[in-house]
Amino acid sequence: LPAGLSQWFPALEVLDVSGTGLAELGAELLALPRLHTLLAKNNRLGGPGSLPKGLGQAPLGRSLRVLNLSGNRFAEVPPALLGLRGLQSLSLGGNRLHSIPPDIQELRSLEFLYLGGNFITSIPPELANLPSLSYLVLCDNKIQSIPPQLAQLHSLRSLSLHNNLLTYLPREILNLVHLEELSLRGNPLVVRFVRDLTYNPPSLQELAGRTIKARNVPYAPSDLPENLVRYLSLASNCPNPKCGGVYFDSCVRQIKFVDFCGKYRLPLMHYLCSPECSSPCSSASQSSTSQSESDSEDEASVAARRMQKVLLG
Amino acid sequence: MEQPVQTETWKAQSLEELIRILHRIFADDKVSVEEVQALMESYESNPEEWLQYAKFDQYRYTRNLVDNGNGKFNLMILCWGEGHGSSIHDHTDSHCFMKILQGNLKETLFEWPEKKGNGEMIKKSERVLRENACAYINDSIGLHRVENISHTETAVSLHLYSPPFDSCNTFDQRTGHKHKVKMTFYSQFGERTLSVSTREHS
Repeated sequence: LPAGLSQWFPALEVLDVSGTGLAELGAELLALPRLHTLLAKNNRLGGPGSLPKGLGQAPLGRSLRVLNLSGNRFAEVPPALLGLRGLQSLSLGGNRLHSIPPDIQELRSLEFLYLGGNFITSIPPELANLPSLSYLVLCDNKIQSIPPQLAQLHSLRSLSLHNNLLTYLPREILNLVHLEELSLRGNPLVVRFVRDLTYNPPSLQELAGRTIKARNVPYAPSDLPENLVRYLSLASNCPNPKCGGVYFDSCVRQIKFVDFCGKYRLPLMHYLCSPECSSPCSSASQSSTSQSESDSEDEASVAARRMQKVLLG
Repeated sequence: MEQPVQTETWKAQSLEELIRILHRIFADDKVSVEEVQALMESYESNPEEWLQYAKFDQYRYTRNLVDNGNGKFNLMILCWGEGHGSSIHDHTDSHCFMKILQGNLKETLFEWPEKKGNGEMIKKSERVLRENACAYINDSIGLHRVENISHTETAVSLHLYSPPFDSCNTFDQRTGHKHKVKMTFYSQFGERTLSVSTREHS
């Protein structure tokens, strides 16, 4: 970037330096107080110092709305950009990212996040703390599972997950009521029930904890060592609405297939408090075949019918 | 459309001329696939001529009607953001020409699934179409999925369907199950159309 940029063009709002071979964007950027769109795709950015220090503190930190760094060489999300509190749209497609930093949640205004075409293997639950996120692209990566917390992205309208390594999805995904587009093709989604082999029976501590919670046994912080008070606070409710139980560490993973009008079966991962517990409408027996049958009446399928259209892509 | 009756070699110098020649060709009862494909390919994409129809949507690809061919064909422009792709679909017994105006599109051809389809659909072939190339498909050739696989560039394509159709089947790649969908236009003749119904295959 030429020195003196901000003196010549102090009112600059849109800057496109895509395809110019730049290896770094210098401090000249920081003095552009009106810049809201910066396009720098297909360059050689990615090394340390690609983005100027103090990006978040500069006037730019509040004014920048759109940042496109796709087609560069970033191996990690540059920490400098996490200070861009006003950023609404970020693209890092086609780079070399292996992970998403939990601090991505600092980008409080983010609505559009494009991370397709990288080498990302997992998604931090902190991504769900972006309150305005409506478009999330994670296609063409190496993602093996989706954290259930992603269902907290209430504004999400489009989720792109195609060409990854997903074998199932968390059942919470059905809670994304505004989701209109969901791409899942090119994932090794299981089509038959997979028997979970690793149910570890609960420890005595867990059994005691479950009983305290289930029977509402009263206790005060002075009654118990601090570590046990903390342990009791971590109880998770069994998702089976007919079971009032909780679990701590020991739960059953079960893959249930939700049928979309007989045309598309989506494998959803359920966590239940024990093998005896089952979702409504399944028989009380624990036979794997009955639990894997398509389920048409429970609240999961109502939500599923809503999502029917989006899954065929 | 049948065997070539009278194959002329057209050269369309502009989008307007392309449309004029298409009207002339389709006024006949017999139209040649080769003729139309050559005509579409001959037009050298000039963004100034079609920018008014190229309305992008953040979330998915869009269909923008350009000309309704006196009922004989529909000519439309499709706008594909980075990573946008279609489902696997058929063409309701119509002819489909697809010309790339900008960027690149990957076309993956699939076999029709067996009647009692319950296995992964079979890929026949795939190719990446470059700017100004024109592909052709109809139901006897197979089914296809079209996608913009670029993470950095958008793509724009020009489609001609004859006869026009407003619904088709989409297919689940893992099972071959099909599902009928209605297709809608994001814009018509350069004007954004706001549809009241729920989003479909538009």
